[in-house]
Amino acid sequence: MSSLKLAAITKTRRTVVQVGEVKIGRDLAVIAGPCSVESEAQTIETARAVKSAGADMLRGGAFKPRTSPYSFQGLGIGGLRILEKAKRETGLPIVTEVLDPRDVSWVAEFADILQIGTRNMQNFSLLKEVGRSGRPVLLKRGMYSTLDEWLNCAEYILSEGNPDVILCERGIRTFETYTRNTLDLSAVPAIRELTHLPIVIDPTHSTGRPSLIEPMSLAAVAAGADGIIVEVHWRPEEALCDADQAMTPAGFTGMMNRLRPLRTFMEKLPA
Amino acid sequence: MKLEEIRHKIDKIDRELLVLLQERMGLALRSKKFKKTVTDPTREEEVLSRIERLNLDLIERSFTRRLIRTIIEESKRLQEENRPLVAFQGEHGAYGEVAARRLIPSGAYIPCLEFIDVFRGVEEHQFDLGVVPVENSLEGAVTQVNDLLTTTDLQVIGEAKVTVKHCLLGTEDIDHREIRLVYSHPQALAQCRGFLMRNKLEARPYYDTAGAAKMLARENPRAAAAIASELCAELYDLEIIKAGIEDGPANNTRFLLLSREPSADRGEKSSIIFATPHEAGRLFAVLKLFAEANINLTRIASMPLRSDPENYCFFLDFEGSEQDEKVVDVLRQMEKLTISMKRLGSYPAASGVF
Repeated sequence: MSSLKLAAITKTRRTVVQVGEVKIGRDLAVIAGPCSVESEAQTIETARAVKSAGADMLRGGAFKPRTSPYSFQGLGIGGLRILEKAKRETGLPIVTEVLDPRDVSWVAEFADILQIGTRNMQNFSLLKEVGRSGRPVLLKRGMYSTLDEWLNCAEYILSEGNPDVILCERGIRTFETYTRNTLDLSAVPAIRELTHLPIVIDPTHSTGRPSLIEPMSLAAVAAGADGIIVEVHWRPEEALCDADQAMTPAGFTGMMNRLRPLRTFMEKLPA
Repeated sequence: MKLEEIRHKIDKIDRELLVLLQERMGLALRSKKFKKTVTDPTREEEVLSRIERLNLDLIERSFTRRLIRTIIEESKRLQEENRPLVAFQGEHGAYGEVAARRLIPSGAYIPCLEFIDVFRGVEEHQFDLGVVPVENSLEGAVTQVNDLLTTTDLQVIGEAKVTVKHCLLGTEDIDHREIRLVYSHPQALAQCRGFLMRNKLEARPYYDTAGAAKMLARENPRAAAAIASELCAELYDLEIIKAGIEDGPANNTRFLLLSREPSADRGEKSSIIFATPHEAGRLFAVLKLFAEANINLTRIASMPLRSDPENYCFFLDFEGSEQDEKVVDVLRQMEKLTISMKRLGSYPAASGVF
């Protein structure tokens, strides 16, 4: 870990990224929304639902990295305009992925947090570009990456002068096939030992199973995660992307009823 | 050419045909002000026979006659509608037209090249009403317009505040990654400088925001976009790539509605222009009258007199109607304190910002 000059843990401070009224790294930050922006109605209805369930921010993809080139690629700038409208309607800040260095400045015009997806974790030219964007960055862990590789990617962003990096554990590839990936929950306390940067977990892509989302979210909060980023779709069966893994608004509301009390409980436990 | 390109060109021509037709209809409406009746058979025959002399191999003469006949019939129908002609400065889609549409929802909006064309056009009965910007929340007074107000006989019969919300507009098929040049009025470009710099876009000054949008729609130059109003996107079928790209807080412009006749409404706001002699305390004495009568001033601005640059005139807007007793009283006392005073009229106050 010797190559980390900016990301390495210090005795004096932990990074707190403030977006709107949410302080990621201090409060429990809940980011929820559809995998992709598909239409205005779908995005705004989902945004309203997650807002009333207590989410702090809205997620939604306008530029989508898909395994197959023939799958839905996202609505692009049109999708960003829909997210902007959802933000105006609900007040929720926007988290959205950027795939291409040429798009960074454009996406930054609409988004409050730029997301770097798992497949782009080591896209170094993209990392440099978001480092210069003036927006906080949610950096997902590469699905085949070690913690050291991941933190070096955060270092790329920090070294461009952008102090606001949020790490996101989203599951890694193992031999297990029951779940889509394996959520590396040990990354939460490990990251807190290694760096001052906040860490959130993605229980959706890591498990790929709606029934596992809530237990893993609760476990992440118990392990000390700074937040979760979770896929919620107003009608999961109609989703154009990852239809089989999104939560319903009702499921999300039920989980939220338990998640925040758990965090409060954890904070009250004796040291 | 591929089929796709051919179709693209056809679509563009159709749009241009409509933009030109809109311009023709506007001119037809203006012609009515010079005529006693809408129908003029001699003129119609003249139009038809002249256009038939064009010898185009793909356009049959009988088709030309049918087409122009249809256009003339529609233009006569429009003239019969008796919509008020509302003049504004700029091209269709200018912020002046946004204000005109708010103030007179059923009007026919006629673009003018210069502010003076709006004033003269209304004075000379070519238009029924005019809409001019008088002040902007960031840039201050629109001096040309204020200057024209000092010399005109027109009355102010309404006001509207319009939010200047700049949008980056592109033709529907443009990829944002290809945009390099952005055309607009220098003031709009200056207000969006941060956005242009962040996205590495080159500013290209153009005479008017709406003119830039119109040019983009008609000529579709490569790698280009325009900064203009939302209305322009609608009028010229352009895509809003991003709305609200101005750097600072949204600014708004206040427009006045001008007419030859005073407002039929009693009004709750009034505007006057006056000049005082160069003597200590004269301006104060005038303002004191308003203070003592408990009349709230909503705008006070000074401008050098064109005719006498050593002296200033003052623009005063205040709450209340010229028919209110206390206003009548203040204005009567003012006559004695000023060397000139001009009443622009009383009118309903703008309700909110659009």
